[in-house]
Amino acid sequence: MKSTLKNMVIVLFSITAISALLVALVNNMTKDAIALSQQQTKNTAKFLVLDTTAEEARVERDTTHNIGDFAITVSTIVRQSDDSVIGYAVEAPSITKSGYADRITLMVGFVEQEDKSIINDVEVLSQKETPGLGANMTKEGNSLIRSIAKKNPAELKFSVTKEGGSFDALTGSTISSRAYANAVETAYAGYLWATGRLDTSDEALNAAPSGASMPYEEINNYEPEAQKGESDNE
Amino acid sequence: MSKLQIITKGILKENPTFVLILGMCPTIGVTSSAINGMGMGVATMAVLIMSNIVISLIKNLIPGKVRIPAFIVVIASFVTIIEMLMQAYVPSLYAALGVFIPLIVVNCIILGRAEAFASKNGVLDSALDGVGIGLGFTLSLTVIGAVREVLGSGSIFGYTFADGVMPLLFILAPGGFIVLGYLMVLFNKVAKR
Repeated sequence: MKSTLKNMVIVLFSITAISALLVALVNNMTKDAIALSQQQTKNTAKFLVLDTTAEEARVERDTTHNIGDFAITVSTIVRQSDDSVIGYAVEAPSITKSGYADRITLMVGFVEQEDKSIINDVEVLSQKETPGLGANMTKEGNSLIRSIAKKNPAELKFSVTKEGGSFDALTGSTISSRAYANAVETAYAGYLWATGRLDTSDEALNAAPSGASMPYEEINNYEPEAQKGESDNE
Repeated sequence: MSKLQIITKGILKENPTFVLILGMCPTIGVTSSAINGMGMGVATMAVLIMSNIVISLIKNLIPGKVRIPAFIVVIASFVTIIEMLMQAYVPSLYAALGVFIPLIVVNCIILGRAEAFASKNGVLDSALDGVGIGLGFTLSLTVIGAVREVLGSGSIFGYTFADGVMPLLFILAPGGFIVLGYLMVLFNKVAKR
């Protein structure tokens, strides 16, 4: 077709208008279903990290702790049969460390055994890391989860092994692994807070290794450490 | 050109990765394992077939000078709609392919085929071209992914056969370029015969 100003304007305008209309329609149609499926993933993860199911257990209560713009949600999971507490599922983002692409969000399950806490399991709720590298954190039995599962978080150091921490980094993905360690640390803080064991004295806050000691207003404006001058890919 | 030829030329004579050298960004980005390469290939093929059909249907309505922006708007809306539908109704597939889908918009194979083929041919031929090029892309990506996975992580389609430290280079982008280069040489030597 020969191009004239008139037909170019009309055609481009109609195509963008029709496309925008279609995208808006589909968005309207799907947004409830998307929210529902994300909620379901979250709910399933709550039981999964404590090795139980929605048939055997239920959420007794959710408590949410807001740090700046971030929310840590602690769910108390109890048995359906006798209401005894199985453990706590904590949804927490990596606050002070970003992954390679974005912050990551984890669901971490804590159980209590002989008056000490252990990390039962971890599920990745959201991440945008590179497939084949950082995204391996979603695989079962990856090096990160192997290095911390069934361990007492009080004895863990929340960084990767080459920085003296307890987390075996994913191959080639130090930055993603740091963000993972940071999210587990955030979850642990949320767990301590929800069970009334968080030491909030100035002394403890000053001694804390990372974001825990940061004033809330600073966290809001905090730019996560990006990959500056890293020799690793991730 | 017969219908069968339209399909086979996408796999051999006009293989998008090894001959046309299109879509290099997703090629290097996602082929760190065979299954990732395959996932990206299949997702691209689906979009390519649909976008070729749509473009060949509306090609006579679009003035020549604004065809490229018009194609891009069509493709981008199309991918966005597929992404939202998948996320809503097949969340497990979305979880597996999620990262690849936005990448398809910037894949120049889609725009390249819209411009080079679908805007000049009928609906059926354009759909078949999408099948052929899509298959070619999927096969190339799977092969590159398989080679990188074998060399870099000692496994194939997630099945580990060699333990211990493998050369990480092949999982990272530089190794991707090396593998791509050697495969390109090999492919063109074999295909030229």
